Formats: sequence, C-alpha cells, structure tokens
Amino acid sequence: MNNIISVGQPNALPLRPTDTSSVSKAKSGFGDLLADTIQEVNSKQLSGDEASDKLQTGTAEHLHEVMIAVEQADVSLRMLVQMRNKAQQAYEEIMRLQL
Amino acid sequence: MDIFTTFKISSSALKANTIRLNTISSNLANVETTSTPEGGPYKKKSVYFESKPMDFRQHLDGQMKSAAQGVHVTKILEDEDPPQLVYNPAHPDANDDGYVELPNVSVIKEMVDMMSATRSYQANATTIKSAKRMALKALEIGG
Repeated sequence: MNNIISVGQPNALPLRPTDTSSVSKAKSGFGDLLADTIQEVNSKQLSGDEASDKLQTGTAEHLHEVMIAVEQADVSLRMLVQMRNKAQQAYEEIMRLQL
Repeated sequence: MDIFTTFKISSSALKANTIRLNTISSNLANVETTSTPEGGPYKKKSVYFESKPMDFRQHLDGQMKSAAQGVHVTKILEDEDPPQLVYNPAHPDANDDGYVELPNVSVIKEMVDMMSATRSYQANATTIKSAKRMALKALEIGG
C-alpha cells in the first residue's frame, strides 16, 4: 500500500516527469496485492469445495469444520467483490473527469 | 484476515464439545455394561480440556497471548469411583456372594453434562455467527 501512497507525494510530481519508476512500482504493487487477494480467496473457495466434497462422500471428520470452511469462502468472496466495486467506482470517477 | 482467528478458536471449542458429547454418549450407552476388554465393569469417562494458543505469532507476542486461546481435549480420564453393587445371582458376571458390579455412571449426571455440552456448543456456534455478521457489517462500510 505504501507504494500507492507514494505516487501522490510531491517528489513524484512535475520536477522529474520522466521518472516513472515509482509509478510503475506502484502499479505492480497494486497488481501484486490484487493477485495475492484473488489467490487467497480462490484457495478459500477450493478448500470450501474440498470440505463439502468430503461431506458428500462421508469422509468429513466434523460437520462444523465443513461449514466454517464454506463460511470463510463466503466472507472472502464478499470482500473481493467489495474491492472490485471500489476499484470500479474509482475508475468510473476518473472517467467522468472533464478535460 | 484476522476475522478468521475467531472462526479458528470457536472451531476448536466446537470440536472439543463434540468429543465431550461423544464421551457422554459412550457413558450412557454403557450404563449397564458389566464386562469390558480390560476386565470389570465399564468406568465412567470424562474429558480433560486444555487451552492452547491459536497461532505462533501470537504465542510470541506476550500481549496477545492471553487474548486468543483455543481449547482442545488432551486426555480422557476414567472415573475412579467404586462400581455399584447390585444383587443378582443369576447374572453371569455375579461374584461369589451373588452381587454384580455395575458401572459408576449416573444417568442424571450424564444428562446434565449433556445439556451443558449442548449449550457450550451453541454458544460457540453463535460466536461464529456473530463474527461473520461483524465481518459483513464491516464490508457494508464501503457500499
């Protein structure tokens, strides 16, 4: 997150317009963050799937563990959707700028 | 994703209470069992709970150490109370005086324990529900 904030700091502004290193770093920083989050949410979904498979095939040890895995997947997915909504809102806001 | 720590702690408590209920069902099933593979009547079993820190990072951090402790069953104890003696000379396990040793299980105590286990389970399930509701409320902040 620090990288994203540094874009808006004065030393990244007009004095050295050709230096885009901090911008590109920020871009990869946000991309990495997003990729990590998606990866984490995906792994939660997969473990939820695996738990419910186990329940269906009768190899699940405890019922509550299945439910908790599914709930974790649910909460993670909702968080990801909110992040997407926020990113989309920001994008739309920028696209509405009058030039 | 610290919200999931609550899930982990409550999950450990749910598991512990499941084991407790299993033990109670074993006691109730064997309330009149006069012979076991070890010899003698069945002995009442009870669980022994022990707290455990939920993750290593918190284990290192002294401040947080007491905050997040799960629970697990470390051992299952056998009650050493003497067996009940009932006069029944026709029973195959009767001793020379005609008394049969019945397990030291009290059905009433087991029922009370069972209610207690059920309530603990419910409380921890409610904690999970509450944690989820809090997380979803937090997600509503942006929307």
